[in-house]
Amino acid sequence: MENRIKFINTFIIIVILGLILRFVYLQIIKYSFYSNLAKKNAIRTIQIGIPRGEIFDRNSRVLAKDHADFNLVFSPYNIKNPQREAKILSPIIGMKDSDLVKILSQTTENPFYRKILKLNISKAEMSKIEEYAYYLPGIYIQLGINRDYPLGKASAQLLGYTGEVSQQQLDQMAGQGLKPGDYIGQYGLEEEYNQYLMGKPEGYEVEVNALGQQIQVLHKTKIIPGDNLYLTVDKSLQKICYNALKGWKEGAIVAMNPNNGQILALVSKPAFNPDDIAKYLQPPYSNGNPFLDRVISGQFPPASIFKIITATAGLEDGYIGEHDKINCPATIKIGNSIFHNWDPINLGWIDIDTAFPISNDIFFAKLGLRIGIKNLLGWAKLFGVGSPTGIDLPGEASGHIPSNNYGPERENVNISIGQGSILMTPLQIARELSIVANGGQVWQPYIVKKIVSPDGRNIQRFYPVLQRTVFISNRTLEILRRDLTNVVAWPNGTGYSAYVPGLQIAGKTGTAETGPRHLNLPLRGAFACFTPVNHPSIVLVVYLDYAPSSWFAAGIAGKILKEYFLPSIANSQNTNSETKIKQLEEYNPNNPYAKNTAERIIKRMKNKNLK
Amino acid sequence: MIKKIYSENTIVWLTYIIIVIGLLLQFGASNTVETHQIFLKQIVWVIAGTIIFLFLRKFDYRNWQKLSLPLYIFFILLLMAVLVIGYGPAKRWIHIAGPIDFQPSEFFKIVFILILAKYFSSKSAEKLPVFLGGIILAGIPAFLILKEPNLGTCLLFIIIFFSLAYIAGAKKKHIFTILLIAVLISPFLWMGLKKYQRERLVVFLAPWKNPLGMGYNLLQSKIAIGSGGLLGTGYMKGTQTELSFLPAYHTDFIFCVLSEQFGLIGVIVFILIYLWFLERIAKIAFTTQDNFAKLVSSGILILFFLQIFINIGMASGILPVAGIPLPFVSYGGSSILASFIEISIIYNISRNSALF
Repeated sequence: MENRIKFINTFIIIVILGLILRFVYLQIIKYSFYSNLAKKNAIRTIQIGIPRGEIFDRNSRVLAKDHADFNLVFSPYNIKNPQREAKILSPIIGMKDSDLVKILSQTTENPFYRKILKLNISKAEMSKIEEYAYYLPGIYIQLGINRDYPLGKASAQLLGYTGEVSQQQLDQMAGQGLKPGDYIGQYGLEEEYNQYLMGKPEGYEVEVNALGQQIQVLHKTKIIPGDNLYLTVDKSLQKICYNALKGWKEGAIVAMNPNNGQILALVSKPAFNPDDIAKYLQPPYSNGNPFLDRVISGQFPPASIFKIITATAGLEDGYIGEHDKINCPATIKIGNSIFHNWDPINLGWIDIDTAFPISNDIFFAKLGLRIGIKNLLGWAKLFGVGSPTGIDLPGEASGHIPSNNYGPERENVNISIGQGSILMTPLQIARELSIVANGGQVWQPYIVKKIVSPDGRNIQRFYPVLQRTVFISNRTLEILRRDLTNVVAWPNGTGYSAYVPGLQIAGKTGTAETGPRHLNLPLRGAFACFTPVNHPSIVLVVYLDYAPSSWFAAGIAGKILKEYFLPSIANSQNTNSETKIKQLEEYNPNNPYAKNTAERIIKRMKNKNLK
Repeated sequence: MIKKIYSENTIVWLTYIIIVIGLLLQFGASNTVETHQIFLKQIVWVIAGTIIFLFLRKFDYRNWQKLSLPLYIFFILLLMAVLVIGYGPAKRWIHIAGPIDFQPSEFFKIVFILILAKYFSSKSAEKLPVFLGGIILAGIPAFLILKEPNLGTCLLFIIIFFSLAYIAGAKKKHIFTILLIAVLISPFLWMGLKKYQRERLVVFLAPWKNPLGMGYNLLQSKIAIGSGGLLGTGYMKGTQTELSFLPAYHTDFIFCVLSEQFGLIGVIVFILIYLWFLERIAKIAFTTQDNFAKLVSSGILILFFLQIFINIGMASGILPVAGIPLPFVSYGGSSILASFIEISIIYNISRNSALF
């Protein structure tokens, strides 16, 4: 036994002394090699990220762009005491102590994995953090790329935002070179065109931390930034539209070129701030859901805007002639129930030219009964009700069209005036108006005009897509355009608040009830129009949730169009509702009912105590 | 007689010299709150270990012979429990109460040596059935530890087993046959390894292949050691360890702190102190007349040797990264306490053998 112990002990002595040779090799022979490595690179390589593609409007003005910033990052592996570090950090970066603890308590096995704590920290924050660096192991300031959205909230739903890729997304997009911690588009165009915008993760930016204080970029390897998007959107119109919703909590505006389906502006409110997205991602939302793009995903009864379809069906299929009159009392009996006009007034026998501008419900109810529900729904389908438009944004809703086998007459009447179970998105309404504006063409709405690589090559170009053509005779179109123009031009027209001197606007209002009338719930107001009437270049839909009347939606549309087409007048003339009321009061109508209607509108506005 | 007492105390003094050096390294590893806390905690563990030592040094080692079987059974159950309720990246940790967590395999190293010493001291290891019986005795815990998964500790146990069997007199023929069989089935073992364990072995073979991935630890530790040179960068002046380029520098890679800050001179001095420490244990293994005591002290000698060799070898890149602590130096309560218990046993054997 002693011998064997001796043998093992000798072996131990040799091995232990042999270890010294290894250190002689590393510390003497290879000394200069390793000390150079230590001095030169102190290898701490961080992937800063690959710049995403930029997004430009139709006039090449920037809508989204990356820029370099200092970010506050942390390495979960090196944070051993989240509570203490959170206590020091929370007053510096203005985050809640408890939230910080939650974030910092994450664990990981990879000592080099870093997560972003706060983007784009200020100089003041930076110097404070440096000051406390001793107490903040695992917290670093790191150069990074952040995304800038010059329009901020105004382009929120259109452009979307970018965020860290989730585990679920990683699984879905396996094979695209994504890794945890990468940022990808999470909403809007950023999501829809992510694969183009993202760039290729083929290179690293090598960053050196020489003394653990300052970060300096010494060397860059090849990086392929993402492709740039050029949109059909007009940045100034987008901004005008968002500002026009000032004072309204919830609403949506979409502007489109009726001749090719190019989206000129797309605004939804409430909006999130893409620069401070974390704040908005935590439900419950105090003011509606900012992640609901009301233009494409909000489904509402089109109300009187649907009367365009009823009128077209009636005129085209011969249920009414241009000068045929219908008796329109204040109420009629349908089946067992009483049906009211929105305005309790007996107008007697009137034709479509009179009924349309003042949006008489009795006229269209009776017309709808003549047409029949099956035929009417057929026309609605031709106008695209119930089918998504195919816009290049994620999350489009299709609206709703009832099935043909609806029995009761009451439902027929409701559909004739756009109530009941019919639902449309504001974008579908814009398409409906476009059909009238361009004479029957159904264009697919689109936002991205072309995708251009960072070195200027055209990757893909998008052309207008004509989905189908609805045959509408010129005679019918002429009547529709005339009546739509009078909606705005007549002082007793329901859309008179959109009137802009010098602009020929053709439009239709729609006020939908959100519940049974006796509950006196707020109404939803919408206004859809195109201009100029003879050569339309823009279709505009303004939609307001919880508005007392579509009157306000029309006012907003008028304001937008004036600012867009006649910026010089817009700035000089005062056209608030008070002057509109004045104009209405001065109006001496040619026909006996107009005065009455005007008075009712004035009364209604005054009752709501609105300026 | 005087010489003997001197011999018992040498091992104690050497232990404390190593501990003091270890504490200096812990303190000087980096200038952060974290480091200072680790330093203070390590002092607490050393005090706890010292108390254990003061009690256990008087505990007659022959009692361990009787206790070894119940302890063995207890720890086998505990290892099974760890597999079920353990936590941590690899399931090595078990939560006791309050802030105290412990790694049962650290303590099991002692029990493992005790049970093998008892087994081989009562039977003749020359006989094949006895040898095979030893394999079963050692194989059960080795398998459980492999499942944790803790490949490094499992290999450590296997080496301790073969060394003790050899010392106890097992035939070389038997040992080599078993080793040959092990080599032949090793490809199947490779299949059974966890992904990260395979990666570690691959990285060990070619660290430059992926300098920022798994090769990082190895490359960084070599840079830290190499840049120390002959004299080192000076205490608390190392850039690699100070800037935390090196992960786990309080535990697995603590030796890099020494190499960088004190250079080759420091490394040689420290390795020689360790060698001296090992030779004191070897001397006790020679001197004692009791077979059980001989096997226990040889086992502890081999255990300390392996831990030192694997840890330093791993830091300097001649062995794969295996998560074996450097005795009395690496931060960690379980490791410190277990090492103190081992020293208590050695001390007691040394004292009792002096009476013969």
